[in-house]
Amino acid sequence: MTTTHSPPPLRHRAPRPARRHSPAVPLLAAAGAGGAAVLALWWQGTGVVSGADGWLTGAGRILGLMCGYMCALLVALMARVPLLEKGLGSDRTARWHASAGRWTVGLLLGHIILITLGYAAQSRTDPVSELGTIVLDYPEMLKGTAGAAVLALVGFVSARAVRRRMRYETWYYLHVLTYAAIFLAFGHQLALGADFAGGAAARAAWYALYLGVATLVLWFRVLVPVRLNVRHRLRVEAVVREAPGVTSVWVSGRRLEALGAKPGQFFRWRFLTPGMWGASHPYSLSAVPRGGFLRITVKALGDHSASVAGLTQGTRVWAEGPYGALTAGLRRSRRVLLLAGGTGITPLRTLFETLPAAPGDLTLLYRARTAEELALRGELESIAAGRGARLVYVLNDADGGRRDVTADGLRRMLPDIAAHDVYLCGPHGLALASYDALREAGVPASRVHYESFEL
Amino acid sequence: MRAHPIRRTVLTCVATVSVTTLALALKPHSQPVTAGPQAPRSSQSPSVPGGTGSGTGSGSATGQRTLTGETVQTRYGPVQVEITVDGAKITAARAVKTPSGDRRSQDIASSSVPTLVQETLDAQSARIDTVSGATFTSEGYMTSLQSALDQARG
Repeated sequence: MTTTHSPPPLRHRAPRPARRHSPAVPLLAAAGAGGAAVLALWWQGTGVVSGADGWLTGAGRILGLMCGYMCALLVALMARVPLLEKGLGSDRTARWHASAGRWTVGLLLGHIILITLGYAAQSRTDPVSELGTIVLDYPEMLKGTAGAAVLALVGFVSARAVRRRMRYETWYYLHVLTYAAIFLAFGHQLALGADFAGGAAARAAWYALYLGVATLVLWFRVLVPVRLNVRHRLRVEAVVREAPGVTSVWVSGRRLEALGAKPGQFFRWRFLTPGMWGASHPYSLSAVPRGGFLRITVKALGDHSASVAGLTQGTRVWAEGPYGALTAGLRRSRRVLLLAGGTGITPLRTLFETLPAAPGDLTLLYRARTAEELALRGELESIAAGRGARLVYVLNDADGGRRDVTADGLRRMLPDIAAHDVYLCGPHGLALASYDALREAGVPASRVHYESFEL
Repeated sequence: MRAHPIRRTVLTCVATVSVTTLALALKPHSQPVTAGPQAPRSSQSPSVPGGTGSGTGSGSATGQRTLTGETVQTRYGPVQVEITVDGAKITAARAVKTPSGDRRSQDIASSSVPTLVQETLDAQSARIDTVSGATFTSEGYMTSLQSALDQARG
């Protein structure tokens, strides 16, 4: 497109939306400070570290304390706290949870091994029988062992290779067991933790940490969703086929404007029908909520998304949200490129309609295999025409050859691409390839906004 | 967006190991000469004068006496030491109270007390080494032992 018209004079320009600051740095700093406080707790409660057994048990205690602290943080990360879900982004929060989880399982194994070796060295027994003594004879350790076993199991099934082979529901309900594991392991921390035996203040702080996290879970995972669903009473209103395997679901409810859903955000949906109520799935809103309706657009990829097409009118819906940080608040430049792959179109479709932009400043690039697979094509074209925005499809060649999003292609399409904000949403492989192409074309990393649920 | 899982894993492991090792390395590694009430007298250690049997001591005036030290509260429980002195010589030592609130404390006490007793008989004073892994019990033992020795001195 040849946008030869000069930008409008400054004072006529639409006010830029307030730039949102990511809470990532303050959150990491707070988590680090908490870790330092936990280390200080150990420091204060420890006199002399002498001999190999002293080093082993000392290291085991440090790892154990950090593991207990991390368990609390892991649960807090998954408590659906708005600061995380909307500020940091649900996808990034989930990735933080996954990395922190891997580290926590590592700490747990280190704790068990070092404490066993340390105690065995102290009492001059062999580690295997010492482990037996610890598990069977020390207070709270039967429960602690059960907790550790569950945490290790959850860690194992979360490993990428194992998770791919499991049903999502199985994996999900195993994860819910984590709450029980952490509860089981809590007792031995206070009963045996040398750092809690002496200090009432340390014990109080530990209780405050765990009770605080439990409150977050109760509030944001239970009370807030109950309130939302009691207030809005969502039901399936209509199911519409958009493209092969792509279905839109219209959901009606009361006072939907009070949901405060922003374009680009999503809800976690649970359809209350036999066979579907057991699991909730994140789907982005594919239309701006108006007229008493919400709309999601779903591509049949798994069991759940395939059965969405079979929903009937009147089915009750349990929703949690809105979540997601891929909103207008991330934008920093006047010009915006929306880059969608497949069903990644859904959040970008609402941004395409609502992002403030002068004609020519907004471009939507939509990657699909065939023209038939382009979902929502009609409305995208009418939005493009209505607001003077650019709409570009990238399809495979007629003979099936792949067309990739490349740096050259991007530069040809938008010579000033480096001055754009880019919103990126699509399957992981495509998103990664597009990200690399964008960076090569000169777009700074801080201007590429993406949402991906790949851990 | 480009994650580097292996690099991140290695970094995390290295950071965890370094912080833990550093924290442990910064701690003292041997028991400093025990501070506290016995410190000023520590130069003239085994001076247990014969004569008057004071305090909880019992036995004949000139021969063997049994002295019980004060009960010292450690974070895991009380420690109390009883010694038998013959003239100026400590002939026996026992821990009459040790932390017993949980199985771990019992294990630590039963493995550390024999060492502490042997050290007492060897050193003939309260200037003995902490048994590693039993820091609190050792410190309580030393304090109680010193108070028993103080009684012997009268």
